[in-house]
Amino acid sequence: MSGIASIAIVRPVAARAGSLLLTLWLVSALVFLAGQVLPGDVGRVMLGPFADAQSVAELNHKLGTDQPILLQYWHWFSRAITGDFGDSLSMRAPVVPFVLQGIRNSAALAGVVLLFLVPIGIGAGVAAGLRAGSLIDKLIVLTGVSLSIVPDFVSGLLLLMVFGLWLAWFPITGAAPDGAGFWTSSYYLILPALPLVLNLIGYVARMTRAGVIEARAADYTRTAILKGLSPSQVLFKHVLRNALVPTVAVIATQSGFLLGGLVVIEALFGIQGLGNLVLSAAKARDFPMLEAGVLVMATIFVSTAAIGDFLQALLDPRQRRRSAP
Amino acid sequence: MTKRSDIDLLRNQSTRGQNGDIWNVAVDEYAQGFLKRRDLLKYAALLGLTGFAASQGLFTSGARAATAGGTVRVGLGQPTKAIDPVTITDPASIGVLSQVGEYLILDDPKDGLQPKLALSWEADETAKRWTFKLRPGVKFHDGRSVTAKDVVASFERLVDPASGSSALSAYKGILSKGGAKVVDDETVAFDLDQSNGNFPFYVSSDVYNAVILPADYAGDFEKNFNGTGPFKLDSFRPKQGASFVRNPDYWGDKALPDRVEIKFFDDEQAQVLALQAGQLDVIPSTTRLELAIEGNPNFKLLSVQASSHDPAHLRTDQAPFTDKRVRRALALTIDREAVVKGLLKDRAVVGNDTPFAPIFPSADPSVPQRKQDIAEAKRLLGEAGVPNGFEVTLTTERAYDIPDYAVIIQNFAKKAGIDIKLNVLPQDAYYGSATFGSSPWLDSNLGITDFGHRGTPDIFLNATLKSSGAWNAAHFNNPDYDALLLDYGKARDLQAQRVAAGKIQNLLLDETPLIISYFSQYSRIVSSKVEGVRFTAISHLLLDKVSFV
Repeated sequence: MSGIASIAIVRPVAARAGSLLLTLWLVSALVFLAGQVLPGDVGRVMLGPFADAQSVAELNHKLGTDQPILLQYWHWFSRAITGDFGDSLSMRAPVVPFVLQGIRNSAALAGVVLLFLVPIGIGAGVAAGLRAGSLIDKLIVLTGVSLSIVPDFVSGLLLLMVFGLWLAWFPITGAAPDGAGFWTSSYYLILPALPLVLNLIGYVARMTRAGVIEARAADYTRTAILKGLSPSQVLFKHVLRNALVPTVAVIATQSGFLLGGLVVIEALFGIQGLGNLVLSAAKARDFPMLEAGVLVMATIFVSTAAIGDFLQALLDPRQRRRSAP
Repeated sequence: MTKRSDIDLLRNQSTRGQNGDIWNVAVDEYAQGFLKRRDLLKYAALLGLTGFAASQGLFTSGARAATAGGTVRVGLGQPTKAIDPVTITDPASIGVLSQVGEYLILDDPKDGLQPKLALSWEADETAKRWTFKLRPGVKFHDGRSVTAKDVVASFERLVDPASGSSALSAYKGILSKGGAKVVDDETVAFDLDQSNGNFPFYVSSDVYNAVILPADYAGDFEKNFNGTGPFKLDSFRPKQGASFVRNPDYWGDKALPDRVEIKFFDDEQAQVLALQAGQLDVIPSTTRLELAIEGNPNFKLLSVQASSHDPAHLRTDQAPFTDKRVRRALALTIDREAVVKGLLKDRAVVGNDTPFAPIFPSADPSVPQRKQDIAEAKRLLGEAGVPNGFEVTLTTERAYDIPDYAVIIQNFAKKAGIDIKLNVLPQDAYYGSATFGSSPWLDSNLGITDFGHRGTPDIFLNATLKSSGAWNAAHFNNPDYDALLLDYGKARDLQAQRVAAGKIQNLLLDETPLIISYFSQYSRIVSSKVEGVRFTAISHLLLDKVSFV
């Protein structure tokens, strides 16, 4: 990367980082406030509806959850600033290892999804775009749309029954046994990844198709053909490079959604990802855990969007020219 | 043996003082056919005649099955918090805990009270002091011996509000701090707050928190799962599962399986799929899951009788339910047999609007059963000045079969012109802060709540119906009831208990603060390949006798 480009990148990155910090602070305050409107208090939720009021009061006192909300928030915030996210109230253990485990499991699942989604989605989109209006184009678009309207808990269950139960090709749960290697863990994640792939594939394919159609009609493509470049050179150098710009942005934002925790799929396949972590923390009114989980999610969403923009800039010659001084 | 000579044998049980009289009364009841032999023997255990009950073959001696070895694979729900016997409340945690933790007494659904870490027990004349002899030679998994000190510390911890114990409400008014005392290394005494003839149930598995832990237990149970049970910890992974191995130093018969592997599931459908795929041997059951395995020879549905029920409370201090005729009318619209057959697939017994489940020996069976009678319901409504019925909102929780049950009640009530609107909330919203004034459960005009199994009716009678009860959602304030409840608590022998119970049952039928249409059984689904899975109605899972076919 040239010096000019790197300077051009520093400023937007700094601006992004600033807005990320502001977002995180707002999110953390909102989570705390939202917690105040949930029914029941921490002690009550932990000890259950049939526990004695005195026990509940003692537990809340022990956990410090009987203090004024602003004071509680300040305690949490001043520690979080230093990177100390405290102990989970419900699991009675430091929050960070749980969150790291959640990130690891969510990332593994997202990785397997992208592994299928990117080649198949883009391949189908290019195939459709190059033959716009043909039968194959219509078939690809229709299949993509049909698949995307099936909710993941339905397709997840169907896939589980077909491939997990009847054919027994895959294990029922997505959590590999302890000490499983990379390949085993990935194999366990194929079934949970499929409903998400099916859900997103039509979207990626449609974006790619639109990009291909637009790029093929563009002046630069005509110029390239007139220059006498071979069809494959035209396709890869000119058409695809431009056609994939919106697709890359879409994949980046979808990665954020995949990494940010998928409550339904994680619950169905028993994967302890971020979605599961945040959901159970909310149920248990476990604020340290909830805060840490939500902040990680927010960070992922903001960063993937930023990475999407950056990749778009890298791919799109017009944007590169615009950011040059 | 003829019944005659059997009765002579029972009479000859040399018993101590006070208990002797009570025992003889019970034998009379048996002789006159008022008491089943099995219930009589269960009763013997309550009085501390454990040796005798065992000699009569009541307690399954756990005949050794042909094969030892193998791994039992168990699916459970996701524990809601760190597993600590003192604070647990959820079924999954109880299932995990029962692999390693033991109680003084096990309340077995089939055989009643079975001596575990206590060998025998007896009460003084007032039933205010109970003395328990401990089983000698029991060791914790870390090798230390179990002494009276550990037992006393375990109960002192549970009745100490500062410990955040979730058993405090169970012991309220029965046992307070300082009540448990070391007599000698192998004897423990309990001085109760008031007489209680059912106290052994309170130190049994019925209070699932009452696992015996070392005196120096510091709340870090997940570190080593240090208990006395037939299995000991192999590994524990929060949110994922746990595995246990046979405890070679167990005081009783060693466990048959080599290992128990427990996996936590967030989703019950995934659980049943894993069972069907042969990846699990035992899972908890719900009515919906039972449909999935019905008629499939690869699985068995095991059930135990229980006192679990879902009472509908009618707020006696708020219109339209201030008039007991209106309350009775609503109760009379319900066809209980249809609920048991249709909704609960016959895995329940009909209830009679009182917490006295048929499984409680003290329940008076002569009280007439309330049946559906729409004409009578309409007549009562007319008498109460609402001949065309009224509108009311039924508030309840999205849990188990309760939403369906609410719809059934809604349909039955229509037959008498009562128009019920449903308000179904998520479970935690329904319970709210579980205190009067900020809990839909305790504040709603008409509501349905889930109550799990208890070994005695005491806690239902006290907490849900006494005027000062913490769970009195019906806001039932009846001095006669409160007085009868005292009589019931004082009754030492079964006959006196039944007389008191009968009066309470009749009063509750007349007043109808609660509608209790059924007592449901507790079930688990197991693979046909495993034999010997035992469990209690409050989610204990006992796997030490499991063998593979």
